[in-house]
Amino acid sequence: MTALSVFNLICGYEGKEVLRGISFEIEVGEFVGIVGPNGCGKTTLLRTISGLLPVWQGCIKVEEQDIHKTERAELAKTIAFVPQLMEPIEGFTVADMVLLGRTPHLNRFSFESEEDRQVARWAREELRIEKLSKTLVNELSGGEFQRVVIARALAQEPRLMLLDEPTSHLDIRYQVRILKLLRKLRQTRTIVATFHDLNMAARFCQKLLLLKAGEIVAFGRPDEVLTAENIWKAYRIKAEVKRNPKTRHARLVLLP
Amino acid sequence: MRKRTLVYILFLFLLILSAASLFIGTVKVAPQEMLTSPILWTIRLPRILLAALAGILLATSGVILQGVLRNPLADPYILGVSAGAGVGAALGISTKINLTFLGMSTVPLLAFFFALLAVLVVYQLSRLSSRNSPETLILAGVAVSAFASAVLALIIIISGQLQSIYFWLLGSFSLSSYNDVLTLLPYAVIGLLISYFYSKELNALLLGEEVAMTLGVEVEKIKWGMIVLATLMTAAAVSVSGLVGFVGLIVPHFIRLLMGPHHRGLIPLAALSGTILLVLADTAARTVLSPMEIPVGIVMALIGAPFFLYVLRRKKR
Repeated sequence: MTALSVFNLICGYEGKEVLRGISFEIEVGEFVGIVGPNGCGKTTLLRTISGLLPVWQGCIKVEEQDIHKTERAELAKTIAFVPQLMEPIEGFTVADMVLLGRTPHLNRFSFESEEDRQVARWAREELRIEKLSKTLVNELSGGEFQRVVIARALAQEPRLMLLDEPTSHLDIRYQVRILKLLRKLRQTRTIVATFHDLNMAARFCQKLLLLKAGEIVAFGRPDEVLTAENIWKAYRIKAEVKRNPKTRHARLVLLP
Repeated sequence: MRKRTLVYILFLFLLILSAASLFIGTVKVAPQEMLTSPILWTIRLPRILLAALAGILLATSGVILQGVLRNPLADPYILGVSAGAGVGAALGISTKINLTFLGMSTVPLLAFFFALLAVLVVYQLSRLSSRNSPETLILAGVAVSAFASAVLALIIIISGQLQSIYFWLLGSFSLSSYNDVLTLLPYAVIGLLISYFYSKELNALLLGEEVAMTLGVEVEKIKWGMIVLATLMTAAAVSVSGLVGFVGLIVPHFIRLLMGPHHRGLIPLAALSGTILLVLADTAARTVLSPMEIPVGIVMALIGAPFFLYVLRRKKR
């Protein structure tokens, strides 16, 4: 089943066109990485799919629902978005922060029910932060806080999760941890995230979408996308693609 | 500490404080005259009630402004909202124009209009800086406050009612009547209820405007709706009791330290503590230099200004 379909998308912000004629489809349960050089439109694409930026032309459908024609409150039950940088809220515990993910499911005159609390606990368990529940978010390390931020999005119970560079300011241990958790989460939902590290993305994503200057260079399995030719097209860098001898994953080696 | 426990403690404290305040004052009331004394029931009681209502209005609008502007220093007085309301109210008082709109009488209506103007100007000015730093908003507030104060001084001089307007301006509950209490009551009750039932959105906004949007909040609508509500509440308080500052800054700050920034607890607790603070300040205002009376606005500024500097410093670290 198609989880996300983008057809002939043209979009941008403040009168500046960033993406031109983007079309692709993602199946339910896939973990897709969006990669490409700085300024190629990775974040713009993610933000447009999340409904933060308007669709200028073309259409975006999430499970047959046109996001352009959907109320924000409804959209929030389908799509969750994790921005690149989030500031911890002073005085909030991990449990408080994760519970905010239930916002789209609450009524005006009633507050979080037992069910909402259970969903939030489940999200904390999925991200392995249950033990930190009562810790204040401003006292967490970067890697811990990033998991809280993702748990907050998961508590929304979205069918599609969008993450903007979820690993960009983490050390390698936390990068692997977050990616493993995301890979596990995709069993129940679809995940789209932007990445800078091509090798990491190739290692954990089922598919990669390679962008360059607002257009798609390649879309498919990591070993199809990461070819010397595509890397040259997108980054103007000479590289050789090798394979990890154990896992057979594609791996870039820069040529001098 | 549990939220409910704190509510009980504060409520009990408020009752004791109000009862004590009723019996303290320049004029001593003999115990046998307690039930009939006009000083207690027609002068002191409405005064206490009015201080309490103003406390709800100012503390709640502080919470709302800090929430939607995501700025711990936002307070109706510091942002120039109170001064703007003061200009409107002074115009209303001195010109004796008679307008009514949606059941609002002239003074609060003009106060609301000018307060809203002040908010819009402050908000736009703060946008001029590319960085959305807390200090920019405060600077804009300082500029608008200074301008509004100058206009206010002009109105006072031109109208020739120096004494009455000036005393009102410094903030005072001394001329309170049950009429004033009835004027403020609907603003306090309705404002408190609306903000309480929008605590879901205010909480989501703590995560930033973008994430709030992806949580289904219509950010622009909610933000402006809430700013208008806070302005209305401030204007109502100012039009009855003059410029009383810093309530909206001090109270929410302490409640956040105690209970965290969750609005479902913050709003009712801040409202309750706001009443306590103003009843306390007003009791001090009329007893400390008895028989002379200090305007309560001066008492609040004496406590509030150093506190503002403290928060500013804490924020820097």
